[in-house]
Amino acid sequence: MTANATRNGAVPGETLRDWLISDRPRSRRQASVGRAYRAWRGFSSNRLAMLGLVIVVGLVLVAIFANLLSPYSPYIGDLRTTRLLPPSPAHWFGTDDQGRDILSRIIQGSRITLFVVVLVAILAAPIGLAVGTVAGYSGGLIDAALMRITDIFLAFPRLILALAFVAALGPGIENAVLAIAITSWPPYARIARAETLTIRQTDYIAAVQLIGASPWRIVLRHIMPLCVASVIVRVTLDMAGIILTAAGLGFLGLGAQPPMPEWGAMIANGRLYVLDQWWVAAAPGAAIFVVSLAFNLLGDGLRDALDPRAAK
Amino acid sequence: MKTSTPPITRRLLAIAAISALLIACGSVPALAATPRDTLVVAFAFDDIITMDPAEAFEISAGEIMGNTYDRLVRFEVNDPSKLSGDIAKSWTVSADGRIYSFELKAGLKFASGNPLTAEDVAFSLQRAVILDKTPAFILTQFGFTKDNVKDKIKQTGPLTLTIETDKSFAPSFVLNCLTANIAAIVDKKLVLSKEQNNDLGYAWLKTNYAGSGPLKIREWRANEIVALERNDAYGGGKSKLARVIYRHVKEAATQRLLLEKGDVDIARNLTPQDLAAVSSNKDIKTTGTPKGTVYYFSLNQKNPTLAKPEVREAFKWLVDYAAIGDTLIKNIGVVHQNFLPVGLLGASTENPYKLDVEKAKALLAKAGVPNGFKVTIDMRTVQPVQGITEAFQQTAKRAGIDIEILPGDGKQTLTKYRARTHDLYIGQWGADYWDPHSNADTFARNPDNADDAKSKPLAWRNSWVIPELTKKADAAVLERDAGKRRAMYEEMQADFRKDSPFVMLYQQTEVAAFRSGVEGLKIGPTSDTTYMFMVSKR
Repeated sequence: MTANATRNGAVPGETLRDWLISDRPRSRRQASVGRAYRAWRGFSSNRLAMLGLVIVVGLVLVAIFANLLSPYSPYIGDLRTTRLLPPSPAHWFGTDDQGRDILSRIIQGSRITLFVVVLVAILAAPIGLAVGTVAGYSGGLIDAALMRITDIFLAFPRLILALAFVAALGPGIENAVLAIAITSWPPYARIARAETLTIRQTDYIAAVQLIGASPWRIVLRHIMPLCVASVIVRVTLDMAGIILTAAGLGFLGLGAQPPMPEWGAMIANGRLYVLDQWWVAAAPGAAIFVVSLAFNLLGDGLRDALDPRAAK
Repeated sequence: MKTSTPPITRRLLAIAAISALLIACGSVPALAATPRDTLVVAFAFDDIITMDPAEAFEISAGEIMGNTYDRLVRFEVNDPSKLSGDIAKSWTVSADGRIYSFELKAGLKFASGNPLTAEDVAFSLQRAVILDKTPAFILTQFGFTKDNVKDKIKQTGPLTLTIETDKSFAPSFVLNCLTANIAAIVDKKLVLSKEQNNDLGYAWLKTNYAGSGPLKIREWRANEIVALERNDAYGGGKSKLARVIYRHVKEAATQRLLLEKGDVDIARNLTPQDLAAVSSNKDIKTTGTPKGTVYYFSLNQKNPTLAKPEVREAFKWLVDYAAIGDTLIKNIGVVHQNFLPVGLLGASTENPYKLDVEKAKALLAKAGVPNGFKVTIDMRTVQPVQGITEAFQQTAKRAGIDIEILPGDGKQTLTKYRARTHDLYIGQWGADYWDPHSNADTFARNPDNADDAKSKPLAWRNSWVIPELTKKADAAVLERDAGKRRAMYEEMQADFRKDSPFVMLYQQTEVAAFRSGVEGLKIGPTSDTTYMFMVSKR
């Protein structure tokens, strides 16, 4: 079977690339695949964004294969023989005050970081999207009520509000995730509402309304899909902030509990030794820095690629 | 004239800016040194909850009370077995050993200017008994109650008073108790003038000062600063320095940096590796004293699993004492598995336990939990407590016991501990007065295990019901023969080592590092005998 045969309505002699960037798509599928391809081309021409993507993919791979990659147990150390050793071929990033290998802890910690980031995205983005689109489409009293609630949440500094939630819920990584999610949905609601306000004026929404679609159907099937792109961009850009908030909570002893290799908690532990055993805090600090930067670069690239207004 | 003004202004501005810059640059070293008449101490004091001596029972608060309040007698720091009068000129004990008569030194004054008389002394002791806060048991163990205290502690003249105990205790024991903070003398006139709703000034004194000590408390801001000032009205030898400022610095690394840069004169909570590092600095010296403070893990007996005797013993075999002693507490403590710290009458130095996972596993199997179990531990997030807890978590895991660490600050964990809602707790205990009964009373006595018990010793906090041991402790405190008393305490410690829900870890050696210009600093054996008013600066 040739590649051409799989495409419907293929013109003989047309390459895959021509088919993808065709000005006159012959099917809806061709149009959407072509659009994705063009976005990818825009994205991949941005080297920094590609760097971000590579690091994020690397983070995911490290998290998946953490058990295979870590040379030692991240939880077991020997006070007598392996305590506070400087970086060496045996321990690339050195060992901490309990004699645990820091590289192994960083590798295992990537799971916690990813867990936090993904869970916050899954929890916060849909809340924000739902609140924003409903408010934007309904208008009036519902809009005012929902947006004032959003304003209230936006009025608190994020870390402080997360601290208050964690203090009430008790320490632990799940509670930290919950606290961060509760505090990070308002910006998504704002964005989704702004998008909705422009979309609801369009002709095709009026057409769907004339056909008799219910408001729920319009919001769910015709407005939300159009808002998703900008929310995804915003979530990606926020991930650095989420990682930093989680690390901040861990640093303050309210995120992960010992001996979990949460990066922020590792820095908190290392600050005691920062003068003489700098590597204890340096490695998790660098890890947080690299991953946060990667998410920012990725988010920037995604925005450039997905936002039609930013097209050159 | 008018036209020439702008250039002059501009030049003036430029000169001002440059000189400001120069001052800013030049003042950097000047900022670093502390004032000559002020002692600045970096100290982690997040455990302080009050400045009222009738309630203050925390280790950091003890030091503040010791420096700012007088009491009838104090023990001598260099020889803790000797007592000397503080505001008391002399005292006698009646033939039946129940009535103590004190005569005060004449002409003493409070920092407020009010004269210090026997009326104030009687009031202070009565107030402590009537308020009945946590440390009140130090006095109420002599048979004082809210109703009878006014008859038992009586002013007999302007400078004389008598104290009547219900039993004939060993006199040294009674006098030792009167050195504790709970027996500190407060200014009756001042305190009563601040009284609200008959609270004996309780609400006011929480954050204020009404004493007569060599230093007075100017200000306490929780987790920030305690500022002490010389009390010029003090009757004895005046403080050599005008001010002592305690700065709350939680991080040992920060304390060390501040000390090295000269921002503080004394750093009190350095970690072993910090002490090792500063020992090579010629501007910094260290001083240390074995303290009456012991560290322990305790097992709440309200938890049915932890209440099993085999489980209690298993925990004692799951701590790697030797490794912890050589690393985490090196320079700041020695492994010690008894509730009496070395230095007290009858203190045992036997340390039978070591890390033995197999033995612990066998004990757990015998207790019916061969696969281990899950428990939580409440932990203050300070070193070396956190390091020890994490090391313990690792070794316990090897026997299948999953320990979840609940970190918190001193106030949070202590409040939970006092409410008996913990599983495991890592704590420290400083002797309140230099007598073995101080520790025996809290570790080995639990007269009433009800939730609303009058006194709440550590045995109560862990709900450990011990009628036998309580009886032994009660007998030991009445024993007037020192040799017999020593033997009694040794026997109690042997029982305690075997059966108690306390895993005794180590005895603290408190080490302070100080700038070489500081003179006369001596860490006291108890928390309230580190006297900053004895310190001077060159």
